[in-house]
Amino acid sequence: MKDTDVRQGTLALMVLKTLDVLGPIHGYAIARRIEQISGDLLTVNQGTLYPVLLKLEQEGSVASEWGASENNRRARFYRLTRKGRKQLQAEARSWEQTAAIIERFFAAKAEDLQ
Amino acid sequence: MKTLRRLFRRLTSWSASARDEERLRAEFDEHIVMQTAENLRAGLSPIEARRQALLKFGNVEAIKETYRDARGLPFLETLVRDTRHAIRGLRRTPAFTVAVTLTLALGIGINTATFSIVNAVLIRPLPFDQPGRLVALTQRVSGFAEKAPFSPPDFIDVQREQQSFDGIAAYVQRPAELSGSGAPVRLDVSKVSWNLFDVLGVRPMLGRPFTEPEDRPGVDVAVLSYDLWERRFGADRSIVGRTITLDRRPYTVVGVMPPGFSFPLRGSGFNARPAAAWVPMAFTAEQLRARGNEHSHGVIGRLKTGTSIEEARVELEILAGRVNERYPLELRNRNFSTSFVAMPLREETSGPLQRPLLLLLGAVALVLLVTCANVANLVLSRAAARRRELALRATLGSSRARLLQLLLAEGAILSIAGGAIGILLSQALVAAVPAAVTSTLPTAPEISVDVRVLAFTGAISILTSILFAVIPQLGLGRRGPGSTLQEEASRTTPGLRRHRMQSGLVVSTVTFAFVLLMGAGLFLRSFSALMATDGGFNPDRVLTASVTLPREGYPMASTVRAFHESLFRRASSLAGVRSAALVTDLPLERYERRTVTGENSVATSGPPPSTNLSWVYGPFVPTLGIRLIAGRTFTDVEDLQSQTVVIVNQRLAQRFWPGQDVLGKRLKWGADVPQNQNSWLTIVGVVADVADDGLGSEPYLHAYEPFSQFPDFVLDNVSGAFGRHVKLAVRTTDDPRALVASVRAEITGIDRQLALQSVETMEDRLGASVAPRRFSVVTLGAFAVGALLLAAIGLYGLLAFSVAERRREIALRVALGAERPAILRMVVGHGLKLVALGLTVGALASLGVTRVLTSLLYQTDTHDVVTFAVVPVVLVLISLVACALPAMRALQVEPMTALRSE
Repeated sequence: MKDTDVRQGTLALMVLKTLDVLGPIHGYAIARRIEQISGDLLTVNQGTLYPVLLKLEQEGSVASEWGASENNRRARFYRLTRKGRKQLQAEARSWEQTAAIIERFFAAKAEDLQ
Repeated sequence: MKTLRRLFRRLTSWSASARDEERLRAEFDEHIVMQTAENLRAGLSPIEARRQALLKFGNVEAIKETYRDARGLPFLETLVRDTRHAIRGLRRTPAFTVAVTLTLALGIGINTATFSIVNAVLIRPLPFDQPGRLVALTQRVSGFAEKAPFSPPDFIDVQREQQSFDGIAAYVQRPAELSGSGAPVRLDVSKVSWNLFDVLGVRPMLGRPFTEPEDRPGVDVAVLSYDLWERRFGADRSIVGRTITLDRRPYTVVGVMPPGFSFPLRGSGFNARPAAAWVPMAFTAEQLRARGNEHSHGVIGRLKTGTSIEEARVELEILAGRVNERYPLELRNRNFSTSFVAMPLREETSGPLQRPLLLLLGAVALVLLVTCANVANLVLSRAAARRRELALRATLGSSRARLLQLLLAEGAILSIAGGAIGILLSQALVAAVPAAVTSTLPTAPEISVDVRVLAFTGAISILTSILFAVIPQLGLGRRGPGSTLQEEASRTTPGLRRHRMQSGLVVSTVTFAFVLLMGAGLFLRSFSALMATDGGFNPDRVLTASVTLPREGYPMASTVRAFHESLFRRASSLAGVRSAALVTDLPLERYERRTVTGENSVATSGPPPSTNLSWVYGPFVPTLGIRLIAGRTFTDVEDLQSQTVVIVNQRLAQRFWPGQDVLGKRLKWGADVPQNQNSWLTIVGVVADVADDGLGSEPYLHAYEPFSQFPDFVLDNVSGAFGRHVKLAVRTTDDPRALVASVRAEITGIDRQLALQSVETMEDRLGASVAPRRFSVVTLGAFAVGALLLAAIGLYGLLAFSVAERRREIALRVALGAERPAILRMVVGHGLKLVALGLTVGALASLGVTRVLTSLLYQTDTHDVVTFAVVPVVLVLISLVACALPAMRALQVEPMTALRSE
C-alpha cells in the first residue's frame, strides 16, 4: 500500500514534468514518454496513468479537452495550468531538497560527524 | 480548512462520477487502440498486437477501483452501490426475498409481542419503591389447606410486636357507591391501614397520605386514584379538602395518588382489584376483639434494610406462638393454631400465572429457534447458489472485504424489511390481547411493545441472517477463487457438507413445529373438553344484574327486604321474562364459605369441611337452570314456618351421608363443638353440582338458604356489605340482551341513586371466565401455525434451491431417459425424507415436552391419541404443498437448454 502511494505521487510529478516539457499532449503520448524515460516503471500498468490524470485535473493542476490525435482519432489532450506549473516548481524544489539531503546522508562517513 | 475543502470536492465529485467514468472508459479505449496500432507497426499480428496492448494497460476494473477509492467517498458510494445491487439481486429471486422477509417478520413479531406480555407480568418491577423488599403476609389456620388472609386482632398483634419490617399495613376491598356529580357508580374502594402508602413508598401527587389519628371509626377521609380524579372530577386540583359522597356519606378528600399507581395488585383472588379510592381501615373495637373471625385482610410489609425474608419468617414464627396463646381456651383445647406466612410480593401476585407464562415463553423460544434456523437455511442456500458468482467476482479483482460488504448489504436490507413488518405485527398482536386477559394480570393492564425486547429479538434474528450469509464466504478467499470456480463448474450436485447442514436445519424446523403443534393441539382439545363440560347450570338466555345496597339508604333489615321484594316483583312481571330470582352470588363467583356440621353424618377425619353458602330469593333453581335431583325448591311461605330449611348440592349430600336419602336430614353452620349454638337446618332438596370456581373446576360443597333466613341483626348492626349484595337473574323467552334497558329501568325505578354494576348475560360471564384459557389456546395456536408456516417456508426454500442447483443433474437424468414421475419422486422424496426425520424426532421430543403441560390441561391426556394422529398428517400435507412448487419446476427442466446454459 505504502509502495503504491509513493509511486502514485511520483507518477503525478512525472506527468506534470512531461506536460511542462512537451506542452499539450494526449494520455497515450504521456504514457509513452514516461515509459521511454523511466524504463520499466510503467510497463506493467499503463492504465494507472488515467486515474492520476483525472485526480490532477480535479485538483486544478492540469486541464483537458477532446481533440484529434496524429492519426485523426479522438483523444483527450492535457495541458499544464498555472497552478500546475506552480505546483511542479514547488514539488521540484522540494524533491531537489529531499534528494540533496538523502544524498548527503548517504555520502556521510562516520568521521564527518565527530 | 484544507480537509473541509477536500471533503467538499469529494462530495461534488461523487455526483459527477458517472460522467467521469464515461470519460475514463473512452480514454482507455483510445489508449488501447493507439497502443495496438503501434504494436502492429512493430510487426505483431493483429490479435497479438491487441493482446499485448491490453496486457500492458493492466486490469481495467482494478484501475477504476483505485480511481474510485482515491476520489469521492468510497464507503458511502459503495454502500449506495451495494444497496442498489443488493436490491436488484433480491428482486431477481422473489421467492427467497419474500421467504426470508416473512420469516423475520413472523419471528420478530411473535417473539416481541409475547416477551412484552411476559415481561409486563413477571419481569417488570412492581410500581412501588424498592418492590423487592415488599412482602405479602398471610395466615395459615390449622385444618385449612389454603392460606387465609388476616383476621384483624392477629394483624394488630403482629403490627405492634414485629421488628423485621419498617412497617406492615392491612387492606381489604370494600366496594362503594359513588354518587353526586353525575350518575351513581360502583367503585372498587379499599380500606387500608393509614401507613399503607408509606409501606409501598409512594406519596400522593396532590395532598397527603392518611395520618394515624385518621385510622379510627368515624373519620371519613379518602385518597383518590389518579384515574378516578381525572375521569370523575375533571382533574380538578382543588379537589383536596372537598367532600365526595361514598355510600351516601360525605368523605373529605385528603390526597390524589400519582398516575400509574395501582393497589391492590390485580389478581384472581380476594382483595385483588385495583382500588379507585382508598379510605382508612378504622377497625372497630368489636373487630379487634373477635379472634379467628373475618379472615379477609390482605397484609403487606416492607422489610427493614439488612433484614432478609428468612429472618422475618423466624420472627413471625415466634410471634405466632405468642398470638396462639391469646386465642380463646375452647379453641386452643381443640388444637386450634395459626401461623404466619411471608412471601415476596412478586411471587405472591404472579405465582399462579408463572406456569402458563413460562410455558408461553418456552413456545416463544421454539418459534425463535425456528426463525433462526429458517433464516440460516434460506440464506445458506442462496449463498451456496451464488458461490460461483462470488468466485467470479473475486477472480475479476474484487477484494474479500468488498464481497463481504456486498453480502452484508443484502442481509441488512432483508433485516430492515423483515424487522419493520415484524414491529407492526408485534404491535397488532399486543393490541389484540383481550381486556379479559389483561384484567387477570397483576400490574398495570396496559401492555405495550417493549423496546428492549424488540431490540433483543430483532438483533438475534438479524445476526443469524448476516452470520449465515457471511460464514460460507469466509472459506472462499482462503481456498482461492480459482479452485472454487473449477469445482463449481464441474459439479452437477451440491457439496455434501453444506447439504447436511441445510438438511439438519430443515429437520430441526420440522421438529420444533411438531412440538408446538402438539402443544397447541393439546390445548385446543383441552379447551373444547372444557367448553363441552356441564357447569351444572344453564347459561342460555339468562340476564344478570348486580347492585349493592349501601347502609345509608338501607339501614335496617326491613329496608333491605323491601328492596328484594320490590325488585323481584318488578323483574318477574317484565314482558319476556319467564322467571326471576335474587341470589347473593351467581355461579362462577366467589361465595361466602363456612364450616358446616351434618347431623348423624358419617364420621369424617381431617379438617372440618367448608361449604359455599348462597342466600336466594325466588325460584333460583329454574331461573339459573340448575337441575333438581331430589326434593323440592323453596316455597314463598318458607319464612312463615317454624322449621328452617336448606337445599344442598349432591357433593355435600355425598360427603356427609354417602348412599343415603338426605331429605329430612339436618345440618348446621359452624364446627361440631358443644359451644356451637347455631340452629339446625332441614334439607328439603338436592340440586346438581355447579362449577362454582369456573368451568372445569372441582365442584365445592354448596348449600342454599332462603334469604328470609338471613339474620336480621347482621343487616341491622354489622357494618360492611355482607348480605347487601343483590344479584338479579332473569330467564328470558328470547334474546336476553333485548331486556338490558328494561332491567336497568326497573332498578333505577326503585332507587334512582343506586349504582348499577354490570348488566350482562350469563353467556358473557361464562365467556369472560374462560377468556384466559381461550387466550392460551389462541396464542399457542398462533405460534404453532406460525412455526408450521416457517417450517413450510424453510422446506420450500431448501427444495427450490436444490432443484435450481441440480438443474444440470436433472437435465442429465432426463436426457439419459429418466421418466417424469422418477424426477418428481426424487424431489418430493428428498423433501419428505427430511420431514419424516423431523416428525420422528418431534414425536419423541413431544412425549417429553408435553408432560410439562399436564397440570394445565383439562380432561386431556398428554399423549392424546387424536392430537398425535392429526398433527403429523397436517405437517405432511403442508410439507407436500411446500414440495409441490419446486417439484413442478424440476419437471419443467428442458434437458437441452439446461445443459447448454452451463
